[in-house]
Amino acid sequence: MKSGYLRFEVRRALRDSRFLVFAVALPVGLFVLLSNLFQSQGAAPAYLMSGLAAFGAFKAALDTGARTAVERGAGWQRQLRLTPLSGLGYLVAKGAVAMLVALPPVVGVALVAALTADVRLADVAWTQAVFGIWLGTVPFALLGLLVGQLCSAQNMQTYQGGVLLLLSFVGGLLIPVSSFPPVLAAVAKALPSYWLAEIGHGAVFGNGRLGVALAVLAAYTVVLGGAVVVRYRRDGARA
Amino acid sequence: MRPAAARLAGMERISPHAVALSGLRKSYGERTAVAGIDLLIAPGEVVALLGPNGAGKSTTVDMMLGLTPPDSGDITLFGKDPHRAVADGVVGAMLQEVALLEDATVREILAMIASMHRAPMPVAQALRLAGTGELGERRAARLSGGQKQRVRLAMALVSDPDLLVLDEPTAAMDVTARREFWHAMGEFAATGRTVLFTTHYLEEAEAHADRVVLMRDGTIVADGPVSGVMARVGGRTVTAVVPGARLPELPALPGVVDAEPVGDDHRVALRCSDSDAALRALLARHPDARDIEIRSASLEEAFVLLTGASRATEEVAAR
Repeated sequence: MKSGYLRFEVRRALRDSRFLVFAVALPVGLFVLLSNLFQSQGAAPAYLMSGLAAFGAFKAALDTGARTAVERGAGWQRQLRLTPLSGLGYLVAKGAVAMLVALPPVVGVALVAALTADVRLADVAWTQAVFGIWLGTVPFALLGLLVGQLCSAQNMQTYQGGVLLLLSFVGGLLIPVSSFPPVLAAVAKALPSYWLAEIGHGAVFGNGRLGVALAVLAAYTVVLGGAVVVRYRRDGARA
Repeated sequence: MRPAAARLAGMERISPHAVALSGLRKSYGERTAVAGIDLLIAPGEVVALLGPNGAGKSTTVDMMLGLTPPDSGDITLFGKDPHRAVADGVVGAMLQEVALLEDATVREILAMIASMHRAPMPVAQALRLAGTGELGERRAARLSGGQKQRVRLAMALVSDPDLLVLDEPTAAMDVTARREFWHAMGEFAATGRTVLFTTHYLEEAEAHADRVVLMRDGTIVADGPVSGVMARVGGRTVTAVVPGARLPELPALPGVVDAEPVGDDHRVALRCSDSDAALRALLARHPDARDIEIRSASLEEAFVLLTGASRATEEVAAR
């Protein structure tokens, strides 16, 4: 009965071609720019690939979730509360769309890495790098939804920018954590983005810490998911 | 067999009130928005909820729709609690300040809402009823204000609800758009559905409602048929151009309650408890009185009188 809403949201997401193109073009472009730099510093392009695939995926998911702030500000969520769609149904559909748009950036970065930087992996490792990073994006979709529920449409961009910088730079997706001072490196390891990239790193360099990565991401998923649901339920009244 | 009492309780649920509010209260911090109201609306009634800004109309509507939990009191819509009624498509509503999605077409939005209801009306029928038949393929970004409002009406209608709730539906509409809107609403009400709308426009309540509920400061101050509410104010108003008459003398005429000047050409308005007696006396004393008009008290006067509306609300009412 609620699949009609999901279809509606998917169609809206796919129609926004500018968003989709930019979501792929940004991490792919960064990969092309940075891979030479990384190589000249002796780091493997495969390492950068994981970071930028994670960056592209979580940014797309986070942006999509956070854009619910606009619908909320415009009163559209109040309108939806007048339909049989439950709060959970709304959040699941929005989360699903966020996950949908998170896949193209991962595939895009992987393709460019394979084609231009000569990254060669076994099939199993490719599968882990692409689908592992993609599935690991779930907590970021939830984080985006939480930002969307907490911020107004006006100040959402600001918070979103801050969250994005923190997760991408401090999470070590653009600069390797190994070059961080110890304190910053410790902070990085508390961030979900660090562990998201770690799924990709594991595929390339060995899965010694895959268990930790999955546990951290699962914990973030539970906490953020709970926070989003609670927040949505409390938000029924007009702001 | 169930005991008789249980069967009776069951019977009551077969033909419940379209709206039943009892002891409904809501405060926001120190401010009391709704201070304990009781309201029963029978199926098929068209009811206008009138009141100045801050009277508690929108809060009442929000509570009826399950958007705001009341502090205390009970709400049932056709015997169901608000959430159940919304989920079952029993109630459709048009809210204030709800933007339409700009990246979806009108038909897509309606089809999406219809897809979630068990027994919706066909999208084409909702479009036609709301007077938006030609707008299906448009995106909301390219609709005028009046068109958007009629699309919102279509969104409220598409579940084929028994109860339609409209919160300030014609605010910010021009005259033509308002007329078209009420025409669409009238067609729906003519099918025997229940309609509750809030409005600032008194003439709309007068023209489109069977019954008017006046709210002030979170309480209901008058409730009844439009004519009944006006009768509570009583009497009629006589206006006339009375050359040479001195304003302070006029209230002394039999049947006149008070007098006030209208415009600057010696035109006066006499509020009367007995307009027949007043008119006879006026013509006897001032045979040259002319341009005489007699009219019933308007709902606006009832509104001002019964809600003790301040000048600010009079301005709103006169808008």
